[in-house]
Amino acid sequence: MSTLFEFLGSEYVIHLAILVCMYLILAQGLNLTFGLGRMFNLAHVASFALGAYTTALLAVETEAGFFKCVFASMLTSGLFAVLLGGIALRLTQDYFSIGTLAFSSVVSSLLINWKSVTRGVLGIPGIPRPEIFGIDFYNNTNFLVLIFIVACMVQGFFLILHSGPFGRALRGQAEYDEALQAIGCDTATVRNMSFLFSSATAGLAGSFFAYYLNYIDPSSFALAEMVFILTIVVVGRPGSLWGVSLGTVFLVLLPEPLRFVEINSAYLGPARQLLQAVILFTVVYLNRRSLFPPQREV
Amino acid sequence: MLAVSKISVSFQKTKVLNSVSLSVSAGETVGIIGPNGSGKTTFFNTLSGFVHPSSGSITLNGEDITGTTPDYRAKCGMGRVFQNFGIFKEMTLMENLLVALEARGSFLGALVPWGAETRENRAKALGYLEEIQLASRANQKAGSLSGGQMRLLEIVRVLATGADLLLLDEPTAGVSPRMKEEVASFITKVQALGKTVLVIEHDITFIQKFCKRIIVLESGTVVLDDTPDRVCADERLQEVYFGKRAAG
Amino acid sequence: MDILPQLLVNSLITGSIYALAASGLCLSFALLKILNFAHGHIMMLGAYMYLLFALDLQQSMVISALLAAGSMVFIGSFILTIFVNPFTRYSPLLSFVTTLALASMVEAIVSMVFGVNVRSLSSGEELSSLEFAGVFITPIQIVIIISAIVILTVMGLIIHGTGMGRRVRALAENPHASQMLGIRARHINFSVFVIGTVLAAYAGVLVGYETNLQPTMGNAYTIKAFAAMILGGLGNIWGTVFGAYILGFVENMAIGLDFGGYSLPAGYKDAFAFLIILGVLLVRPQGLFGSRKRSA
Repeated sequence: MSTLFEFLGSEYVIHLAILVCMYLILAQGLNLTFGLGRMFNLAHVASFALGAYTTALLAVETEAGFFKCVFASMLTSGLFAVLLGGIALRLTQDYFSIGTLAFSSVVSSLLINWKSVTRGVLGIPGIPRPEIFGIDFYNNTNFLVLIFIVACMVQGFFLILHSGPFGRALRGQAEYDEALQAIGCDTATVRNMSFLFSSATAGLAGSFFAYYLNYIDPSSFALAEMVFILTIVVVGRPGSLWGVSLGTVFLVLLPEPLRFVEINSAYLGPARQLLQAVILFTVVYLNRRSLFPPQREV
Repeated sequence: MLAVSKISVSFQKTKVLNSVSLSVSAGETVGIIGPNGSGKTTFFNTLSGFVHPSSGSITLNGEDITGTTPDYRAKCGMGRVFQNFGIFKEMTLMENLLVALEARGSFLGALVPWGAETRENRAKALGYLEEIQLASRANQKAGSLSGGQMRLLEIVRVLATGADLLLLDEPTAGVSPRMKEEVASFITKVQALGKTVLVIEHDITFIQKFCKRIIVLESGTVVLDDTPDRVCADERLQEVYFGKRAAG
Repeated sequence: MDILPQLLVNSLITGSIYALAASGLCLSFALLKILNFAHGHIMMLGAYMYLLFALDLQQSMVISALLAAGSMVFIGSFILTIFVNPFTRYSPLLSFVTTLALASMVEAIVSMVFGVNVRSLSSGEELSSLEFAGVFITPIQIVIIISAIVILTVMGLIIHGTGMGRRVRALAENPHASQMLGIRARHINFSVFVIGTVLAAYAGVLVGYETNLQPTMGNAYTIKAFAAMILGGLGNIWGTVFGAYILGFVENMAIGLDFGGYSLPAGYKDAFAFLIILGVLLVRPQGLFGSRKRSA
């Protein structure tokens, strides 16, 4: 019994719990636009990256406090969503997903090439953990409590959105946009708002990502990361709040046994990536009839 | 109530509507018939704001709504029933009505799932469902309904938005013959509420039941605009559908 | 020295590679109505297959090319059967997700098999460049330009002059009506997709000779192919080819030209594809040569 408690209190388990909370925040953001709204938004990881870099730069360069950094991260990602929404949301599905892919690539190109600010592929090291009301968050247990509270708040916020009129309107525009307009709903605003919420949430997750790892570089925000978050949402069933929560726990923990297998450490990253992509494909294949209901138009 | 003045619509180089004018007074029911491709649905799409005319204007209750968005027109009291069912099949019947009732609510009210507004809307939605005898299935997905029931739900949902002018695009499409009667009698009920109704229909005997006025569209122009009896008697109607009779 | 002729030749080289890559993407979009988010990864995979035979297994160029092409035919048909065909009947979102998953799989597998480090196909000796009137060009670059012209011309002749091409165009325009005329959609979709895969692989090999290869390069080339297609209008094959050359031109000009003492760092070269996509989407969403889809 005591060994069980020891295991649960170990740094490794706390580390996993922190990752679960962080990916929960990130995935619930995508679950709003892609899950409920059926918009194939490939720029979610770009919002995440912007949030992470904003916090990293502010915390390292200006030594700004926790609340300032988190707020700035959400604001940056939110502004990004407004910009992206202004261009991409006017488009039909095909063009929309290409547009968001292009947007995310602009962001990653900036992260790599704008060396005077982002230090390029070297990344930004030495991001200090936050200190709030004198509590030291270098202690991972404290950090877990903090991110757990934030994750619960995010979950509550999305619970409200999903079950309320906003969620209904978002689902409605996904199924038959014109029919929703014809009963007096401004669907463009609904989509833009969902983008704003989703992106700001990703920014929040990014902020915690930077704080937790103390170091960020562009490779953390590559295609594989987008596929991972997409996998979480698809496995948890797009649009389902609790399904995606369970999916997060499952998928964050799933590759962990790979750590204990005797394989070359160079294979670890690609092996995780392959595993996630295979799961994503399998789930989509098995549910292809029911995953995305048909969309109608006038 | 509704005044359409000389609207023209073209897709690429083909003219789909050619200077169509029409005025409908409050409480009137007007049927629109015409062969396939005569521009009936485009006419409705123009009225509800999905297609913008290259010239001409549309006035609703004295306000010029020509360049406005569909949702603005809905707020002005225009409702629309879609040929391919405008209901949300993935949502429950209750949610279908809630979405309509909430569309004109406040912004903050639109974010939260609780509060007096929501409770009131639920009660109202149940009332509407009772009118079409579907209150017992309020929490089932709308996709499980029969074609006729979906149609009734869609019409009652338009009423829930508070629309005074209803555009019905082939309300009997995808509806079984037996349910057609029920849809017809429900449309009569809507008329009794004093609503203005425009109906597109293929089946002329169906609209004769409740229309006092019928418009015949052909190649994007209004050919006839008269009472049902006189339209049926007019040989131009035969021409539109069967081509000109051979001389003699 | 006037740098302009050199930049124009460079644009032609880059544009040729993009045109070969994008034409396959465009044809498979026109027929299958899917956006293949793994197209750049297929390119990268093709290049690595060639690298496997030519460098790791020490085969001659011709044998390696044949073996690589053969394996890409196999891989292309595998991708079509597993990742595309089961999904096209349902929502288009499905094939977006599955091709993205495929992209990730290819990237992971190539990283595991060939390692994540940069590799190149050229051994250096091909690099000895020839000079024509102040313009430097390597033999491999001449091969790139000429082979692109030959391949695209043959493709044009097939599409516009043969019964096969008429079937492809008929299917792209109205699949249901064409099938009712007895055109076998499955066979044609299959051949077009496989040809597109092999073309992409060829473009990948050219990239491997021109610059270098890395498992993570796929995404950038997917976006470049999309940029060419967006410029030309989705599914419009000649628009796409033209778009590819424009993209090559813009990239080379932006990096090569000197804007009043300031020139853009070469790292931003890739960013132009993204900016072109966004710009076109903002101004003319149907593409420069596309026609707006008829609504209602």
